[in-house]
Amino acid sequence: MKFLSQPLTPQPVIEAFKKDIDRTLIRENLKLSHEQRLLKLMQLQRLAQELRQAGRRARRESV
Amino acid sequence: MIDFPKLLRLLTEHDVAFLIIGGVAAVIHGSSRLTQDLDVVYQRSPQNLTRLVQALAEQSPYLRGAPPGLPFQWSVATLRMGLNFTLETSVGPLDLLGEVTGGGSYEDLLEHTITVEIFGVQCRCLNLPALIRTKRAAGRPKDLEAIAELEVIWEEQQEG
Repeated sequence: MKFLSQPLTPQPVIEAFKKDIDRTLIRENLKLSHEQRLLKLMQLQRLAQELRQAGRRARRESV
Repeated sequence: MIDFPKLLRLLTEHDVAFLIIGGVAAVIHGSSRLTQDLDVVYQRSPQNLTRLVQALAEQSPYLRGAPPGLPFQWSVATLRMGLNFTLETSVGPLDLLGEVTGGGSYEDLLEHTITVEIFGVQCRCLNLPALIRTKRAAGRPKDLEAIAELEVIWEEQQEG
């Protein structure tokens, strides 16, 4: 598929978003192995799940 | 939550032809964004559909968000009649894509992948430039920040 081989030309909208990207986080991630990055994602998913459950509990208790 | 070790082992042990795209591919490339499901593009050959059905048969695949009790059957016939499936399984949410916007099919994407070893198995993952292009092609406003992050990762890799 030719589209996938085309050069990545800068797009103004995306360039505008780039200034808010935290490059320090990216540099830290790039030091990790692929597996370590996925393990970190699993930890994040677990945390998000616990926060959602805590939110539901708090809403139930406030009724 | 996705049980990556179990899910990836199930797919590879059954010799399913698939490649990782989407948010998890972004994380593999260094993204720090949270994603909740695993998106994979799967090959649509009859043999691969059989392998895919066998790989997930014991993981209770069901249409995500659908009301319980629908006559959904996890079978080759179901896969053949559809293309893209958003599933909930006992090992986590899994999106099975027969094609992606701007990227095409498994065969179209294959030459734009890298092989990564994770949790003791080798998997194909869309390479970073192709991932950026498919996200650009999807044209979803919610992806703009994610695309910007991926392009910054690409820049960092080119500089490093």
